[in-house]
Amino acid sequence: MDEIKILHMFPALLNLYGDSGNMEVLKYRCAMRNIRCTVDEYNIDSDITDFSGYDLIYLGGGADLEQNAISGGLMKNKEEIFKAHAAGAFLLLICGGYQLMGKFYRDSNGIEIPGLGLFDYYTTASREKSSRCIGNIIVEAEIDGVSTKIIGFENHGGMTENVKTPLGKVLYGFGNTEKSGYEGYFEKNVIATYLHGPLLSKNPAVADYIIKYCLNRKKSQPAELAPLDDTIENKCREMLLERLLKSNEKD
Amino acid sequence: MKLFNTALVILGKLIIGTMKLFRFNGGNLPGIIIQKLRYNCCEIFTIDCPIVACTGTNGKTTVTNFIANMFQQEGKNIITNPEGNNLDTGICSLLLKNCSMTGKVRADCLVLEVDESHVPVIFSQQKLDTLVVLNFFRDQLDRNGEVETLIRKVEGFCKTFDGNLFLNGDDPNVVRLGYANPENKNVRFFSADRYEYATDFLYEAGEGMFCPLCGKALVYDYYQYSHIGRFHCPECGYGNIEPYAKLTKIDLDSRTLTVDGKTYETSYNSIYNMYNLCAVYSVAKFYGFSEETIRNTFMKLKINNGRMEEFSYRGSRLVLNLAKNPVGANMTLRMLNEMKGEKELLFVLNDNIADGCDVSWIWDINFSIFRDVSRVVTSGTRAYDIAIRIKYAGYDYGKIEVYPDLDDAVRELFSKDGQKFAIANYSAVQPVRAALKKFIGGND
Repeated sequence: MDEIKILHMFPALLNLYGDSGNMEVLKYRCAMRNIRCTVDEYNIDSDITDFSGYDLIYLGGGADLEQNAISGGLMKNKEEIFKAHAAGAFLLLICGGYQLMGKFYRDSNGIEIPGLGLFDYYTTASREKSSRCIGNIIVEAEIDGVSTKIIGFENHGGMTENVKTPLGKVLYGFGNTEKSGYEGYFEKNVIATYLHGPLLSKNPAVADYIIKYCLNRKKSQPAELAPLDDTIENKCREMLLERLLKSNEKD
Repeated sequence: MKLFNTALVILGKLIIGTMKLFRFNGGNLPGIIIQKLRYNCCEIFTIDCPIVACTGTNGKTTVTNFIANMFQQEGKNIITNPEGNNLDTGICSLLLKNCSMTGKVRADCLVLEVDESHVPVIFSQQKLDTLVVLNFFRDQLDRNGEVETLIRKVEGFCKTFDGNLFLNGDDPNVVRLGYANPENKNVRFFSADRYEYATDFLYEAGEGMFCPLCGKALVYDYYQYSHIGRFHCPECGYGNIEPYAKLTKIDLDSRTLTVDGKTYETSYNSIYNMYNLCAVYSVAKFYGFSEETIRNTFMKLKINNGRMEEFSYRGSRLVLNLAKNPVGANMTLRMLNEMKGEKELLFVLNDNIADGCDVSWIWDINFSIFRDVSRVVTSGTRAYDIAIRIKYAGYDYGKIEVYPDLDDAVRELFSKDGQKFAIANYSAVQPVRAALKKFIGGND
């Protein structure tokens, strides 16, 4: 039986906006295909020190208070995360998880929290505490060679700059900054994004890309995934795309 | 300025009069107009009686109605907002209807439900006597910001407040308000003993896992629901409260509770309503209401506003409950599970501005505990989102039917007999009530 091993970091603390739902989606879509999917949770007092056995490392978003609480715990694992990334493990990073992998995060009071520095981008929160990017968002991205529209919800005060390879182009909403026109950060084994929703719930193509990547990374003969019945997901997407993109035209 | 205030009062009354003339029910529209002319729209009134206000994420409508009812039973003339309208503009509209031409408000007491974020707004304009704070949960993150931001707003107000504070002593997010003004000697806590279904571990998404004073992880003796339970900080002792009112022997089956040695019957049977009643009891005790008043109100009062409201259609019973955040929804699912036998569920999810446009909170609902649900019908502007959520919780998606149109959904739901449960979020609850009444009325 095929297997995917996931390390879910700080699930109790980084679980704002239902981000742990992404794990439910991956587990479900694996189970439907008879792929074993195990999720280990890494919490503040965790004794997991070796990340090399994991195919996917996942971090969700958290409130500022919780984000500060975990930044030390994350720093402790800097080397393991760097090694995992270099070895081709997949990194799925949402919101706070996205920001913390960059160079730094400067909050609205000007205080700088160092990031892990795995990637070159950095994030600055607006001095205006009330100015946040909030709302539905649609991003056009190329996933697995196919152009797809990623739908989610963004809610962030931090503006992320110096992103060399964004996830996609913003069709509706804000993205990395209020005006950049691009959203997220992408490598073949990294999806870092501000999208909640949770991300994978309305974007089965993204979920399947991640599953396929994780399955095939150690195989010499890449396998295809069996298709699933995504009728409800597709109807949901259809309805939202029509509603949001139409309202765009009116603006 | 005084003249200007009077002019605004008269204008407000004219607007209300005109609206009445055209039978237009505009809710807080008069207040919205007055606020355009004067930002501090609650300041134009002279109020010469005490104000009692209730706030918190869940339960404020219920508690406000209960407190108001008790004051009335004690023969007091009160002004209240029983149907919400709990922002400054709503309160302004309420007072416009109940004041003299010069803006004088005459009553024995004002009993107000107030939105958490508007507590500092309204009560910087009018003097507050008593504030009841029920709980702080994650709720409409996109509109309110993180729950921490909201707590800080109320905390900021409490720093200079020296009136009566009635606080839920079992919510670490609320207890901290009691520390905001160390000079305030009028802080009182209410609490409840462990009930039958309390757990040793956190069962549903919660907030406030760390001590707000020293940052250490909090330790719980038990969790009643979400992060509500008996907690304390092992480092600094935060949470070791001396309750002013404490519920014991909570019995949801017989719908009874005991406090100060007396047992009361109620029409409610959920743990979160027991906490609501405990808040009400604290206020009643403080204001010296008679045992008879308390007994009567607890036993008879039931708020029919989509909070565990019952409907029946040709022998099918339906219970409707509002759930506007994960905690409310999880509590509702517990009650659905406690309902014996098979049932069908209608879940109506909207993403209108009043709901907050972000529906990702539904992923914090613990649907895996679903028991004996033979079919799910979903509706609302986000009917598909909730269907996806329930599907990924492991529920057979062949039994999920999506009808974005509410009338279609209700018709479909009643196409089969049997017990039914309906959950609706904030802006959906009144349309659901209307659709149910229309369907039942049209087909009976």
